[in-house]
Amino acid sequence: MKLWQDWQAAAVIDENFEILEVEYCKRSLNKEQVAKRLNLLSSGVLLEEARHLQQRYPEAILVDSGDEFLENVELPYPDDERMKILDEAALILSKQNVDDSASDPDRRLEHLIRASDELRSSWVLLEARLIEWVVLLLPRARMEEDRNRLAKIIISSETISDLANHFNVTPPNIPPSESEWQVIKKWAESVASLQSQLDRIESAVRELSLEHLPSLSAIAGPLIAAKLCVAAHGRMRLARLPAGTVQILGAEKAFFSHLKQGTKPPKHGLIYSHVFISRSPKPVRGRISRMLAARMSLAARIDAFNGTSWGDEEFRLIEEKVEKIRKQYFDSKKR
Amino acid sequence: MVRKNVDISSNVKLEGRAIWTLSADGNNKVYGETTRKKRGDVWRRWDPYRSKLGAAILRTKKDPAILFPSPGSTVVYLGAAHGTTISHIHDHLCGKNNKFSGRLISVDISPRCLRDLNHLAVRRPGIIPVFGDARKLESWSYLVPKGADWLFQDVSQAGQVDIFITACKRFLRPNSTALLSLKGASERFNEGGDQAIFLETNEKLLNSGIKIVESIELSGFEEQHMLFHCVI
Repeated sequence: MKLWQDWQAAAVIDENFEILEVEYCKRSLNKEQVAKRLNLLSSGVLLEEARHLQQRYPEAILVDSGDEFLENVELPYPDDERMKILDEAALILSKQNVDDSASDPDRRLEHLIRASDELRSSWVLLEARLIEWVVLLLPRARMEEDRNRLAKIIISSETISDLANHFNVTPPNIPPSESEWQVIKKWAESVASLQSQLDRIESAVRELSLEHLPSLSAIAGPLIAAKLCVAAHGRMRLARLPAGTVQILGAEKAFFSHLKQGTKPPKHGLIYSHVFISRSPKPVRGRISRMLAARMSLAARIDAFNGTSWGDEEFRLIEEKVEKIRKQYFDSKKR
Repeated sequence: MVRKNVDISSNVKLEGRAIWTLSADGNNKVYGETTRKKRGDVWRRWDPYRSKLGAAILRTKKDPAILFPSPGSTVVYLGAAHGTTISHIHDHLCGKNNKFSGRLISVDISPRCLRDLNHLAVRRPGIIPVFGDARKLESWSYLVPKGADWLFQDVSQAGQVDIFITACKRFLRPNSTALLSLKGASERFNEGGDQAIFLETNEKLLNSGIKIVESIELSGFEEQHMLFHCVI
């Protein structure tokens, strides 16, 4: 015996494709109510009518609406009037679904990470030009120490001589004209504003990542956690990836050249920027990234399936393990 | 191949290499297409470079009219994207204010695309946007209780053919038209290149009992694509 339901009716059918009983939704339904019912239906819940029938026929088993069994049955499909309501309800449901996706932290994180990547690439470009520009005008200035503050120093200098004084060098023999100097100053201003915007983005990423991926952030740091989540197209997908994939997320180019051309496989992808890997000696990086990726994969699963979050304790255990690997497999005296 | 002017239906006509559909939404453009006015009516030009169905209509060696659903029927469109092709099918299927009372079930999995489709659906009654997965038919199949008469699939992901076969079996009534736009590059890498993938698809469709009327090569408009015109 089978139980069948759609959004406005339910039926019990026996083995000879005969309908034993049908129950319609007798109330008049408006489109909002129908949308609610459709939502329940797609999550596989029994609606009111089907529940009543189930009580009367406890042995009936719910069939999927596409089951071959139903091909020979005259099912109580909605009439034209109800089909019209259904179409309106479908539009409401689709709008709700789009609204729901806006509150998805995965998508917000994606925008933040992509924005920070784009901004960083333009910031690097502008900042490099600024340095070259100033070096051309003041070739004797030593600005290695002041590089991070250079933009701010230029903004606070009134003229090129001010800037020269700051670095204790003589101003150029033929100084740039006022308009040229203004161009450089404005350039420095945009470098500084990009820099502060970058900082803002990063703190926003940190905040969202600590909330959305607490365990992964605890062991990988919020920035790497966010990047991994975006690279995997979402937290749920990241949780379902094998640790080996997590290890090389972000190293797709090297990985596919390994598959196609037989180059060496990459040892690490995005996780390389983790201090445990980038600050470890080269010969053990592969081992450490393997172990770290396995732990990160576990942490991602905890986050995705609402487990008890990891914290400093787990981080300390991993740190010990990294130490152990370094000691066991890398002998600094041998080299 | 230059054809003479053909009227495919009251709302669609072919003029040489240009396809025009009678706009169901007055002067409003959907994707920046060319429009022209004729006796108070607005006609929109169907861009074959942006729509695989449009390309197939120009490339087919048979009567292009058989690629279309009959106006007023129920059709399923998997992989609706931003509604470029959808809007033209809607012109044909539903007409102004859905005067033919057609139902165009447009399924897509991307919320971004759905947003555009929702806006389109508000202005064009008859389009039913569905936020769903083409592989999980059961979660939205209640929208097509009595089956459909025409199906188009353009999802470009691995396993396109299996999705197509399942959807055809599930929704289509006998003797209905089904169109599969197959992107060779989406399938698994095949030694024989795209041609081998297309051949394999051919065989798969035939084995599942689907008759192929014509396989239309879309190169020139859309590379590495083949449109299979099938009949269930």
